[in-house]
Amino acid sequence: MKPLAKAWRALRAPFARQSRETDLEAEVRHHIELETEANVRRGLPPEEARRAALVSFGGLDQAKEDCRESWAGRFLEVLGQDVRYGLRGLRRSPGFTAAVVLTLGLGIGANTAVFSLVNGVLLKPLPYARGEQLVVVRQPDAHAGQPNLGFSPLEVKDYRSMARTLDGFVEYHSMDFTLLGDGDPRRVRAGVVSWNFFDVLEVRPVLGRAFRSDDEREGADAVLILSHEYWRELGGDASIVGRRFEMNDRVHTVVGVLPSIPQYPQENDVYMPATACPFRARLVDNRRGRLLSAFGRVAPGFSVAQAQADMDGVSQRLRVSYPDAFAREAQPHVQLSPLKEDLVQGARPLFLVLLATVALVLLIACANVANLTLARLLERSRELAIRSALGAGRARLLRQLLTESTIVALAGGVLGLVLAFAARGLLTTFAARLTPRAGEVQIDGPVLLFTLVTSVLTGILAGALPGLPGRERIAETLVTESGRSTGDRRKHRMRTGLVAWQLALSFVLLIGASLTLRSFQNLRQVDAGFHCERVLSARVNLNFTTYGDAEHRIDADKVAAFNRSMEDQIRQRAGVVTVGAAWTFPLNNQFRNDGTFTIEGRGEITGPPPKGTFIGVSPSYFESLGVPVLRGRAFEDRDRKGGEAAVIVNERLARRHWKSEDPIGRRISTDGGRTWRTIVGVVGDVRQQALDAEYTDTVYLPFREFPGYAYTLFVRTLDDPAHAAEAVRAAGRRSDPQAAITDVRTLADIRSETLSSPRLMSVLLGMFALLALVITAAGLSGLIAYAVSQRTQEIGIRMALGADRGRIVTMVLRDGMLSVAAGLALGIAASLALSRLVSGLLFGIGANDPMCYVGSAIVLVAAAAAACFLPARRATAVSPMTALRAQA
Amino acid sequence: MNRPNIDLLQGTLDVLILKTLVPGAMHGWGIAQRIQQVSQDVLRVNQGSLYPALHRLEEEGWIAAEWGSSENNRKAKFYRLTRTGQRQLEAETENWKRLAEAVGRVLQTS
Repeated sequence: MKPLAKAWRALRAPFARQSRETDLEAEVRHHIELETEANVRRGLPPEEARRAALVSFGGLDQAKEDCRESWAGRFLEVLGQDVRYGLRGLRRSPGFTAAVVLTLGLGIGANTAVFSLVNGVLLKPLPYARGEQLVVVRQPDAHAGQPNLGFSPLEVKDYRSMARTLDGFVEYHSMDFTLLGDGDPRRVRAGVVSWNFFDVLEVRPVLGRAFRSDDEREGADAVLILSHEYWRELGGDASIVGRRFEMNDRVHTVVGVLPSIPQYPQENDVYMPATACPFRARLVDNRRGRLLSAFGRVAPGFSVAQAQADMDGVSQRLRVSYPDAFAREAQPHVQLSPLKEDLVQGARPLFLVLLATVALVLLIACANVANLTLARLLERSRELAIRSALGAGRARLLRQLLTESTIVALAGGVLGLVLAFAARGLLTTFAARLTPRAGEVQIDGPVLLFTLVTSVLTGILAGALPGLPGRERIAETLVTESGRSTGDRRKHRMRTGLVAWQLALSFVLLIGASLTLRSFQNLRQVDAGFHCERVLSARVNLNFTTYGDAEHRIDADKVAAFNRSMEDQIRQRAGVVTVGAAWTFPLNNQFRNDGTFTIEGRGEITGPPPKGTFIGVSPSYFESLGVPVLRGRAFEDRDRKGGEAAVIVNERLARRHWKSEDPIGRRISTDGGRTWRTIVGVVGDVRQQALDAEYTDTVYLPFREFPGYAYTLFVRTLDDPAHAAEAVRAAGRRSDPQAAITDVRTLADIRSETLSSPRLMSVLLGMFALLALVITAAGLSGLIAYAVSQRTQEIGIRMALGADRGRIVTMVLRDGMLSVAAGLALGIAASLALSRLVSGLLFGIGANDPMCYVGSAIVLVAAAAAACFLPARRATAVSPMTALRAQA
Repeated sequence: MNRPNIDLLQGTLDVLILKTLVPGAMHGWGIAQRIQQVSQDVLRVNQGSLYPALHRLEEEGWIAAEWGSSENNRKAKFYRLTRTGQRQLEAETENWKRLAEAVGRVLQTS
């Protein structure tokens, strides 16, 4: 009851205010009258009696103010007053206000932007219902060092029926098919999934239906579900359900359209039921045909760990039942990991570094605002003194100051939101390179709340740091017109300390930025093992129904005929030097085709078998990429089925297995000894996966003998390779109208693309460090300028007494340089302690790289010197006469 | 009677006000006079803190105020003890006795 009554009074208070004031006034007047009368009765003359009554009452205004303090609703009322008063004060000093709002706006904006990344990717739950129960299931082989062998259709069936702790166990693989029926042949990425895939993810189509179990039946009609994005691309027609497309020589009917959600494991254009994939169909009886990825939903009531234990048991039973399912030496097991972990692990370290960086930037901005507030406070001592004399308590004065700093911080927050909103496109692009969740990065409720809380905290911190001038200081101000006191000195020391901290944090950011920049430069200068200048690449996608036999086994001669036609036509274009083909393009981190091989005459090997990445390449592949043939020869047209079974290895593999011997003429087998292939050449190492990945042992097979339905063409030109793009497309159309030519881009673009994430990271960190440096320099400059203005008179006297300009400058700069030295020392210590945290993100540079420390120190000191220079010069420009008059 | 006045301890003014209001409603000046009289001028109420205390007690709900007319027909604000104020007074009195006894015991031991 009582709290209710209190709340009611508080709410009513603003309206009852007027009557309360009158009451208080009347009550106090009544008291004075009675006291005066009592004094008169004691024999004092009336005038004297009244004076005595007033004196005995004490500070009348103070007492009234104390009464008001105890009124309900007082808090709101005071807040209203403080806000009005604060706004008035801020309007009076627009320079101060603008500087503070801008500084905080930049700091809060950076934090809002980065937090929107962290929130969208790391914090938000997955967009799937009960997403925390979803797991990725892998089958690693410890012996071969394979992180995931995948699953065969038979294994998926077994796990699905034997796992007790999983509510759903679904398979997934992705295939590129040619879709006919909408103008040009389109190449589509098709996700091939268990019929209940979308039920397990709990995703409901926005149009039509999900797959049903009878879609997976033998001989069922072929059906498709479109992704939201692909449906849009096709025109976004709401009546698309029922539309027919031709794919793989079958008619496929659209039955549904997915909602617009991030697709996992990858973006697909269309989805089809597992049994509709002609490639999977060839593997249904093959326990070793591991083409599939698997996902599961942990059943309610079980933890991921319990599900893992359950699956371990299933895995062991299967190994006993099917001893031939794996190679003899294999050590497979099953591994469950939460889907969310899987989605964000690439982004987490970078995002956390960014978050720490912007937090430091905000701290620096906060220190600057505290410094500005402090300087303004000293100018406002008189105002504070008057308010204090009129009855404002210290708590009330402090509250006023905090209200003011919170107002400017909130304004900064609004500016920050605008900045973050402007930057969101850039951020999403950045995030997209690191995680499939990038689409979920938005400025939404949690982000707004974060901005609000950050702004308020920033305001309170910036307002509370300077504190109030001492009690004596306030009193003194009323008596003396101006003049400096010990309080001034203490505040000045505090300002110097704040600037030292700013310098230290700026140094840490400079170190972070320079390490990232150097690491990026190292990455850019990596020798990838091929020449990417003047090479155009294009993905060729063949319709496998045309180029395979009844069992969908690829017809090497048909592919060769097509490819010859392509190459001949492209070569006819002026400026084309050579055309090569291969299963993949270099620096393709999606390409994984690792396997083991045996070396003739090495007998039984203990330990892991030799491993390598297998790539099929055409005769002119090495020439078109500029990869040197170190020994022997490149492939030739005779290296085809029925020929001598040639193979080429890279230098790294040759050195590992033959040391300094010549491997040419040695034989290896990639099929367990059924056929032996002769090494005919050794070529230079190429980074096939990524610039920062080690070279891998690579085995090149003749493309003529091992062609692919989808492969990459490389066109080396004399002029700008981009000009050859049309020739490549035209050659494709003429050679086979059903062949889709996609991803036409230069190798230089591919290389640049792989650098974009580290490039953006170093740009962002560099920008933040620069921002921090500018803010810090402004703070330092303000500090010196203030010191100079306080000492104008002293400087005048010194100059009149013959001090030369150098001495004056030294004197003025001493404070500044002291804080620079302290800041540098602190910064170096902090950097040494923190840099360990980023060492995992660096490439080719140690976290304590001395060059970075020296460079950052030079930059910091130079910026500090520049910041001190202007105010110091103003000090020497002081004319002794003006100075002496200034405060006489 | 030449002993100096004792400044009231923090918080004791509240309980004195409550006690003073037990016989009936009074206005501020009356309360101050009454405390001074009853304590035989030992306790002198600082008038600057009397009114803030009254407003605080009213806000707590221990006393209630209404306007009435005083001795010579002037409008005055009268305060009276409420039921919760009565209970508060009992609790505070009990506390005070315990405190006084305890302090007394400490001072008596040599």
